Amino acid sequence: MIACLFRLSALCAAMSAQTETGVDHYSFEQVRAQVIRKATAHVEPALVTIETIGGAQPVRDGGPRGPVEESFRLADGPTTGLVISSDGLIITSSFNFARDPAIITVTFADGRRSVAKLLGRDHIRRLALIKVDEENLPEPDWVPSDELQVGQYAMACGRGLGGTQPFVSLGIVSALNRRNGNAVQTDAKVSPINYGGPLVDIEGRVMGILVPMAGSGGALAGARWYDSGIGFAIYKREIDGVFDRLAAGETIEQGKIGVILEPDEESSLIPLLDKLLPPAKGVKIREVLEHSPASRSDLRVGDKILAIDGQPTGDLSELQRRLSDRAAGETIMLTVKRRWRKLDVKIKLVPRSEIGKPPEEDADSNAEESSDEPTTRPVTD
Amino acid sequence: MIERKSNAARRGDIRYALAGLFIVLSASPVDSSDHNVAPNTVQRAFDGALSSVVKLYGGGGLGRLHGYGTGFLVSADGKIVTALSILVTRPTIRVVLSDGRKYDARLVRSDEYRQLAVLQIDGEGLPHLNLTKTDSVEPGDTVIAMGNWYKIAEGEEHVSVNRGILSLKTDLSARRLTQDFEYQGPVLIYDAITSNPGAPGGPLLDIHGNCIGIVGRVVEAVNTNTRINYALPSEEITAFLGGEPSPKATTAATTGKQGKPYVGIKISKFGFRHVSAYVQRVRPGSPAAEAGIKPDDLIVAIDNKRITNADAYRAAVDAMRPGQLVRFIIKRGQRVMTFEITIGVRP
Repeated sequence: MIACLFRLSALCAAMSAQTETGVDHYSFEQVRAQVIRKATAHVEPALVTIETIGGAQPVRDGGPRGPVEESFRLADGPTTGLVISSDGLIITSSFNFARDPAIITVTFADGRRSVAKLLGRDHIRRLALIKVDEENLPEPDWVPSDELQVGQYAMACGRGLGGTQPFVSLGIVSALNRRNGNAVQTDAKVSPINYGGPLVDIEGRVMGILVPMAGSGGALAGARWYDSGIGFAIYKREIDGVFDRLAAGETIEQGKIGVILEPDEESSLIPLLDKLLPPAKGVKIREVLEHSPASRSDLRVGDKILAIDGQPTGDLSELQRRLSDRAAGETIMLTVKRRWRKLDVKIKLVPRSEIGKPPEEDADSNAEESSDEPTTRPVTD
Repeated sequence: MIERKSNAARRGDIRYALAGLFIVLSASPVDSSDHNVAPNTVQRAFDGALSSVVKLYGGGGLGRLHGYGTGFLVSADGKIVTALSILVTRPTIRVVLSDGRKYDARLVRSDEYRQLAVLQIDGEGLPHLNLTKTDSVEPGDTVIAMGNWYKIAEGEEHVSVNRGILSLKTDLSARRLTQDFEYQGPVLIYDAITSNPGAPGGPLLDIHGNCIGIVGRVVEAVNTNTRINYALPSEEITAFLGGEPSPKATTAATTGKQGKPYVGIKISKFGFRHVSAYVQRVRPGSPAAEAGIKPDDLIVAIDNKRITNADAYRAAVDAMRPGQLVRFIIKRGQRVMTFEITIGVRP
């Protein structure tokens, strides 16, 4: 009896499907497949295959152990890029050049090959801009970022497996404005197959450029999250924000202050008083590194950082997160509390590599340091 | 431009159709709240195939090798196809059908190149899958994978099912641990995750529930160093079941007769193995010389396959047949050039 009812209702569904829209469940699958193919075909002319020759597995500072190889082993297969302007500029992910290759070639959708030059890299957003001597390249369509909605379909395209056809994986937009507002998050499968490629909507319009950006640590850290259902694509507006600097050949690196921080446990001798003074929540400076922006500034051990650029910082992880988005060369204003005083300290951030180097010819910019450790341990920032 | 406009127009239609579909789905009395009866496509495909998919168990796992796997029936008299692994080489292979019936199977035949095996159980009138040619599916089409992943299906429980889309049809270039993976032929790549213990040997289905492939062993793609989710196409299963020799054996047999391939390029050597494939010398009168390749050219690719170093070049040449026309992509200074070379016979 129940089975009969079910069958009847199923029949009703099938009938209503046919009368109202002409689409049943089977047709849905077919329509979806067509939409995917059409969307891929729409972006495909702007999708390029990048191949590199030379270079080596990157190393990072392993502390007392000396330089260590990154745990994610890079392959030397093809990677993906997207034409961003018709006069030969191609946007891709810095992941694809982590080996510092000697030669870069680009193959266009129509099979033409060209030698490319690496212009600039943005290690914060994991982007890279390369240039080929070509004109009239097909530009993709971009989706205005305010049109994006959580839950809408998204497709991740790439050329990392070689061949003539692009790879496509299907998912949805999982979240907006992730990673300091830089990226849209997707559950489409993202991996070295499509880093540097576009995340597109059902019309083939580009939502962002896919990059490894999960987790913290070195340049390849996010790649360990490949195919996890947690992928990121950098918004066009963020690309536009750094475009001129990349085109001018600049390398954008995380900026560092040159301090080791620790969570501000309630170790104060007068916790009650601390609580009475409203803006006391902050992060404590445990150490100021030599030859760093911090050492050249007014910062001292024991200072409590309350705010960056006037915005209260809360806890250590929030401070780190907000600092992780700031580039070397930028100047920030830290509000610190030293005993009963509140001070504003201006700091010009430097790349991690410059921390600890005494000033030589250029007295202007010096050193600073960084942070990969979990937040429970003291960290440098 | 005209093409683009018509695309835009049709895009509108599709959006309308999709929107309409969602309305139907939510208004329908048998919507997703009633999983057991919804005429869901995945479920229909699954129902048909479910009874044909079997769980395999063998002796205890050894290290990273797992003592369980997946297979599927391809004939009513108990022929089961699965992936070749240590599991099927054991003296006892236990097969559990979706209805809980248990059988002991024996290994009938295996194929080292395709990494496939066929087992036999004693049965009659058993459910089995239909193999469908893969030209019926294109990237974007829904695919369904089934398997005994992580041994999650216990006792009489049926295997797990996962859906994705077909991402790409391409040739596989992969390795397993540190060794090159034997099978280098065409594969179906999809975005459902099957690079899991227990998954190899499971079927890949199209939305009709027909078998379009068999989930391959867990491997890493050479191009990316990441695990890929792939299936050998049904054509390979058919060829294997029909006893066709694997393509590798065929090429080896023919090259013997024709002599060794000859290009006439000497690659420069600096004493290191992994040095880019720069041309040091071109033998006068050789196919390379006739095509116009010169010393100091850098060989970037041959027939769209990347050549990263001297070893890769040698391997590529070894795989060629005399008389074959190949395309060399060369970097000379800042220019990328293409040369077509007809492979000769080594003098």
